[in-house]
Amino acid sequence: MTGRTTTRRAGAVVAGGLLAGLLLVLAHLLVGRSELPPGEVLRALVGRASEPVYEVIVLDYRLPRVLVGLGAGALLAVSGVLVQAVVRNPLAEPATTGVGAGAALAVTAALVLWPGRPLAYPAALVGALATGAVLYAVGRRSLAVAGVLLGAVLAAMTSLLLVVDSAPIGVVLRWLVGSLNARTPHDWALLWPWVAVLLPVAWLLASRLNAWALGDAVAVGLGLRARPLVAVVLLVAVGAAAAAIAAAGAVAFVGLVAPHVARLWVGADHRRLVPVSAVLGALLLSLADLVAFSVTIRLPGVAPDVSGVPVGAVTALLGAPVLISLIRRESRP
Amino acid sequence: MIIIPNSIATAVPRSSPAVVLTALGLAAAGCLLAALCVGHPVLAPGTAVAALLDPDHPQRVTVGEVRLPRAVLGAVAGGGLGLSGLLLQDALRNPIAGPELLGVSSGAAVVVATIVVLGLGVPLALQPWLALAGALVAGAGVLLAMGRTRAPDHVVLVGAAVSAACGGLVVAVVGLGTQGNVVVLFRYLMGSLAARGWSHVATVAPLVAAGILVAWLIRRRVEALTLGDEVAAGLGVAVARTRVLAVGTAALLAAAVASACGPVAWVALLAPHLARRLTGSASTRRALAPTLAVGGLLLMAADLGARRLLYPVEVPVGIVTTLVGVPALLLLRPTGRPR
Repeated sequence: MTGRTTTRRAGAVVAGGLLAGLLLVLAHLLVGRSELPPGEVLRALVGRASEPVYEVIVLDYRLPRVLVGLGAGALLAVSGVLVQAVVRNPLAEPATTGVGAGAALAVTAALVLWPGRPLAYPAALVGALATGAVLYAVGRRSLAVAGVLLGAVLAAMTSLLLVVDSAPIGVVLRWLVGSLNARTPHDWALLWPWVAVLLPVAWLLASRLNAWALGDAVAVGLGLRARPLVAVVLLVAVGAAAAAIAAAGAVAFVGLVAPHVARLWVGADHRRLVPVSAVLGALLLSLADLVAFSVTIRLPGVAPDVSGVPVGAVTALLGAPVLISLIRRESRP
Repeated sequence: MIIIPNSIATAVPRSSPAVVLTALGLAAAGCLLAALCVGHPVLAPGTAVAALLDPDHPQRVTVGEVRLPRAVLGAVAGGGLGLSGLLLQDALRNPIAGPELLGVSSGAAVVVATIVVLGLGVPLALQPWLALAGALVAGAGVLLAMGRTRAPDHVVLVGAAVSAACGGLVVAVVGLGTQGNVVVLFRYLMGSLAARGWSHVATVAPLVAAGILVAWLIRRRVEALTLGDEVAAGLGVAVARTRVLAVGTAALLAAAVASACGPVAWVALLAPHLARRLTGSASTRRALAPTLAVGGLLLMAADLGARRLLYPVEVPVGIVTTLVGVPALLLLRPTGRPR
């Protein structure tokens, strides 16, 4: 595959992805428990619906949900690309760094200590970033192993808290797997600045990541300073994962599968990998959410706003076969 | 017959296996006695033993029907987990392979979650067997998904993928559950020895015994695998068949334990490393008995800790094994090849 064809292919993927994203947004706006006529949905978007409640449904519930899904998916996928690059292990993902577990611990602590206060978002953010800092301090040579172990300890501490006070158990379990139920414009407002800042920064780091991928010796020969680079990449990766996890919960596999599919399509050059992964991650998460929501509204007796099938369950069930086929393809002689 | 020279397998000086096993046995006996004494009411060691031996003793039920089966289950399950880890680590040549990665624990979890959350009227005695079936289905799924590849890294990855998929299923089921059920389920998902009796021991023990037997029969072939596939093949070992047999046995052991106690973490990973450290030998054959002993002791001691840590609240034992196991693993530093 030559550079020019893959660049063209990357452009095609991004363009196709934007189109698919638009269709997904439309699908999300049209599907729901209350059946709105398609015409009313479109009119509600421009603020001219015949009933005010239609505008509330579309603008305050359906639109934020799909926007949070798209943004969090893009952030998770880019975080995956960065983590995989910095630990030089194609099977690492945001969860490998333990930030999801750290965020979960902080959210659980907030729910136990101050029940009823809306502290989940700041707690998740602080917990994830703090975990990233600990990881950088203790990780040194093997970030991947340190991250997995750190995550296990943090998860055990979360469980210990839940043994002491099991009231928030339902919320925490749901949150641990990732859910986009009941997102509001507030959630989207908290997420979009991260998307706007971190995705371009990740793209700017791409050529350095290409050099880093060639190995320590080559990277140093090219004038790269290893420790600052690792620190910056890790910071961006953790920040992206933290923002996504705070908004959507610890969703599995998006950060792993999206970069892999992207690598399959456009090769290992990070200048193409970062944007293509972002597009694929966004599509993957909001598509999975559409599936989760559609399954839920068919299940009798389940209120999809507060319970039902969480999106993380769907990404895990869809992601596992993809991963297995990737591994089998890779190991084919 | 495959003969592996001792000079390859044992690079470090070692203490006599008999000494190590005796010390482990004494520690296990002490742990067992403590398990009988501790709780409500606290009994003196003499009283606990007397209660065990005298059918008319007022504490007979507490000691003989509650505390003893729980401790025995801990010993049997811990030993089974340790052996499972040993087989996996050596057959896959991966020092951080554990049964968590085979999907068996999560397969059992899916079944138990479905029963608990959906409130299916399954008889209590039948539950461990259904969980075992779920575990074996997931384990078989991993083996099938591997296809013809037997590369260690890929086996681990496929296992992680199946585990994650099962985890997704569990949460999907939880999503349908009510608050009360979720608490019960949560305790199971952490791994717990609470409220287990002789029926659980009777479910697990035969399967662990069978696992030990198979492990004993294939111990030399598994040890040959640790030298590398080419060397093992050169020594006359059927590499792929041995690996499937070892991984299958490990899955059976882990499934048996998971069906009764839930997916207890880290014991399988830690026990073989500790056993090797204690005996100073990397050999699979020499590690077999000490791993069983270390695993049993670990889980029994962890359960004792789980009962006392936040007394009177009982902590799921899996939390204790994680909080102890991870720092221990970091101290042992098994990040490189085990030998």
